[in-house]
Amino acid sequence: MRTTHTAKVAAGALAALLVLAGCSSKAKDDDGDKQSAGGVKTGDGISGKTISLGVLTDMTGVYATLGKSVTQAQQLYVKQVNASGGVCGYKLSLTVRDHGYDPQKAVSGYTELAPKVLGFTQFIGSPFVAAVKQRIDGQDKGLVLPQAWSATLLGSPYIRVIGSTYDIETINAIDFLMKEKGLKKGDKIGHVYFEGDYGENALAGSKYMAKKAGLQVVEQKIKPTDNDMTGQVAALKQAKVKAIVISAGPRQAASLVGVAAAGKFPVPIIGNNSAFAPQLLATQAGPALTANYYVASPSLPIGADTPQAKKLVEDYKAAYPKDSLDNGVVAGWTAAAAFGEALKKACAAKDLTREGVDKALLTINAFDPGFGITQDFSDPKSASSKQSVILRPDKSAVGGMKVVREAEASSAAEGYTPGS
Amino acid sequence: MSDVLARDETTGTTRPARHRTLRLPGVRTWVRVAGAVLLLALPFYLDRFWLQAGLFAMAAAIGAIGLNLLTGATGQLSMGHAFFLAVGAYGYCVFAADGGDGLTGLGLPSWLAAVLAVLVAGVAGGLFSPIAGRLRGAYLGIATLALIFIGQHVLFNARDLTGGFNGRDVPPLSLFGLTFDDREVVVAAVPFGSAEKLWYAGLVLLLGCALFARGVLRGRPGRAMNAIRDHRIAAGVMGVPVARYRAAVFVLSSMYAGLAGVLLALVFQRTVPDYFGITLSLDYLAMIVIGGLGSVAGAVVGAVFVSLLPQLLTRYSDALPLVSDPGTGGIAPGEAARYLYGAAVVAVVLFLPGGLVRLAARRRVSPGSGATPGEER
Amino acid sequence: MSTFAELLLNGISLGSVYALIALGFVVIFRATEVVNFAHASLLLAGGYVTATLHDDIGFWPALLVGIAGAAAVGAAVEFLVMRRYRGSDHSVLAIVTIGVDILLTTELTRRIGTDVLALGDPWGDAVLTVGPVSLAHTRIAAFVAAALLITAFLLVFRYTSWGVAMRAAAESPETAALMGVRLGRVSLGAWAVAGGLAAVAALFLTVFPTPGLERATSLAALKAFPAAILGGLDSTTGALVGGLLVGITESLATGYQSDLTFLGRGLGDLAPYLVMVAILLIRPAGLFGTKELARV
Repeated sequence: MRTTHTAKVAAGALAALLVLAGCSSKAKDDDGDKQSAGGVKTGDGISGKTISLGVLTDMTGVYATLGKSVTQAQQLYVKQVNASGGVCGYKLSLTVRDHGYDPQKAVSGYTELAPKVLGFTQFIGSPFVAAVKQRIDGQDKGLVLPQAWSATLLGSPYIRVIGSTYDIETINAIDFLMKEKGLKKGDKIGHVYFEGDYGENALAGSKYMAKKAGLQVVEQKIKPTDNDMTGQVAALKQAKVKAIVISAGPRQAASLVGVAAAGKFPVPIIGNNSAFAPQLLATQAGPALTANYYVASPSLPIGADTPQAKKLVEDYKAAYPKDSLDNGVVAGWTAAAAFGEALKKACAAKDLTREGVDKALLTINAFDPGFGITQDFSDPKSASSKQSVILRPDKSAVGGMKVVREAEASSAAEGYTPGS
Repeated sequence: MSDVLARDETTGTTRPARHRTLRLPGVRTWVRVAGAVLLLALPFYLDRFWLQAGLFAMAAAIGAIGLNLLTGATGQLSMGHAFFLAVGAYGYCVFAADGGDGLTGLGLPSWLAAVLAVLVAGVAGGLFSPIAGRLRGAYLGIATLALIFIGQHVLFNARDLTGGFNGRDVPPLSLFGLTFDDREVVVAAVPFGSAEKLWYAGLVLLLGCALFARGVLRGRPGRAMNAIRDHRIAAGVMGVPVARYRAAVFVLSSMYAGLAGVLLALVFQRTVPDYFGITLSLDYLAMIVIGGLGSVAGAVVGAVFVSLLPQLLTRYSDALPLVSDPGTGGIAPGEAARYLYGAAVVAVVLFLPGGLVRLAARRRVSPGSGATPGEER
Repeated sequence: MSTFAELLLNGISLGSVYALIALGFVVIFRATEVVNFAHASLLLAGGYVTATLHDDIGFWPALLVGIAGAAAVGAAVEFLVMRRYRGSDHSVLAIVTIGVDILLTTELTRRIGTDVLALGDPWGDAVLTVGPVSLAHTRIAAFVAAALLITAFLLVFRYTSWGVAMRAAAESPETAALMGVRLGRVSLGAWAVAGGLAAVAALFLTVFPTPGLERATSLAALKAFPAAILGGLDSTTGALVGGLLVGITESLATGYQSDLTFLGRGLGDLAPYLVMVAILLIRPAGLFGTKELARV
């Protein structure tokens, strides 16, 4: 009984398939690049007069704080570009997918959007970017601007990190400690870092700098669920470190700085750009943070004294009055603006295909959206900038940060190549 | 809960009688034919996003069947399922990779690698059975939680084996000269990439796993497992070798998880450690509860529900009331999916003991249909 | 040596917070034999209420309202969900609490959003320094609170009628019901008490040295699982000992990370689970747990 049924099923299915397959919409037909009226070549991601761009963000997971700011800044950018006529007559439209830092949702989001968009102005989570890297490099070839600054993402002509990577930022941070905070050759330096791409890439930087400058790194690896840094401070105190670098989240930084201050352990502490959030200044850790904490950042803070920054603050406040201004806004805006710049160049070259946009970005070697750092996108193998700005928390400043040292690339950072 | 299986048995015995009265191929056969045609034809129509979602659901279904054997049928709470998935996924990479990326790779033929990965997952389950055999209920559940933490630690730290935080590339599966990668093969004018090809592999694997599990559940072992779940000591008294069964089910369930891990790795094309965390384990528990504890169909239904729900909500967020696009305020699709998913777990247990498959069964109690949950696939 | 003393003290104080969370598991397990995976969300609920109210009504009243609020949430979960379950499988009920946890946590994290909420406690970042060892006031308070609460529970379980009823209900629900124990009330009370305990634990989890309450705070409950298990899920003493053991293990594994590099770095999270597995291998019901007796 069962066998005959199975055979019937199989035969029926086969017959049906042969009949049906012919009329599938997926069937191959040549719909290559189109030529629009203005002589601009277009391809995937453009239909009619609209350029679709993808955003793969995290608004409900561990990077929710970053994801929200970046996405809102990019939505603001798109709104403003469209209000001023769009890019060579095309309107921009963002499709946002929130993956909540779940690999399955992130990969699904990419699979869903990839055929429909010209490129991605945001992709949070470097493990996920790595997961679809083969597809980006092999078939899709759309421009992807990850909101992650890990050096492991460098090297692809399509995945372009904006600003200095974590390793370079850490090198610049230690350079600041040595030049201005009395750290010297032979000293020990503590490094508290997250497990994962962010922390481990930063660690590569501090190890490189230690070798260059004759320092010794005392490592303390933590997980994002660790919120209490008492044990770490005790261990670093025991090791007699003269300064501490923290490559973790804002909470861990606040705890570390607070515990060190309370335990009379007054060494200078510096963090990467992800290790601070203005919300912290309202908590108990606020005073300790303003007293003895520095942050290395790939751009000027949102409260910078440039006309572009002031305009962004004003517009952002008007659009999202309830949300805090942080460096995620700058990062999102910068990425969107870089993408916009590439689109404009591609349009000028009459080639708005994915290939055209990729090529256009390679020609941009001095892009400055108004946050103090010039980006050079001409070499996919190196970060678009090797400079970092050193900031410190300040309650009175917009975004809670003010500049201590202007954009500068240390000589060690200039001579650094990732993986060395 | 135990009545699901009890119902199975009664229909199992009454079924032949029904078949004698039904001369013509019944409604059920036609439904099956239609379902099979549909499943086989889908790759010709759906785009990659849906195929991938379907493949995630298939992999989840295989893993959930394994967990249902352990938790649903034998009553052993396991929160460490994600660990065995990881063993399968990474095991496959280690066996199949050729070491070209600087990571450990044995360069075995990929089909052999897949088989070995499943076996290694089983061995891992076997190694844990001294602990699993001694503990019960909540103690076992939380002890298996330790596996997740150990697993994550190894995935992040054993750099040569796992690639660390960035994970490692998954070599495509190659079988009888057919490689399941993204090189396009045109079938009936439709270009076949990895998702289309894997779809069929996934269907075959799922069918095989489901049939095997059904065989286990319906036969002697299944009755012994249920006896252990319902009354361990009574089962022992009646001559069921309790310890041996418990260990064997743990190993079998781990192998199912390992196979699910291999399939997932092939779909992802890259394994990342973040995936194999505690959330994944909890997802699997939710699947079997929502679908129906102790039955194969329940595991499949639950897996499809839990894997596809967030995808559907995200994809159609603009068309749904109350749900809004991320960044516009209101409930984000991700959150809406969490609400529904949490509510589904609670609601199913309270109002639908036996899971979603019971719903289907209840609707079809009309005479002649004869379909009961445990019987479909 | 001073580092060791400091790590040990820090571990003890951290452990007392875990003990408070573990006690919440124990109370519910004793009354209903269910492992409550929703404890993490009760924690978040208590902390959230305290954090949002302390500005308006002051810290102590806010804490009381927080405790009451979390107790109410716990009772509501029992009344609306747990009580409605008709089956008898405790594993299924444990999975239901996972569903409840997902619902509550999603709602609370949506409310908290990306904020870090201060709880406005009176201890601030003050530190007590004795010789080379320093300890935060918040941690001393946590230890005192845990010690008081756990002693109180030991006494309550042993001497009050509620405690006896709870033990009777755990031992054999049918017999207890026949003897006039109102099972519903016992279990409702247990959930409410667990909620209150969670709120207290939330307080000590979010004050100095941590910056405040935020969406990930509830993850700390994961560390209390090994505490509750290795002490024995039905033992109050076990919760205390388990909590301390986990706290000390975590603290030492972190502090001596550099000497343990052969195991890989970042052991702090993992160590408690390894200790738990080792103990369970020797004592399957935990250090102080009651061995399950065979009832046929």
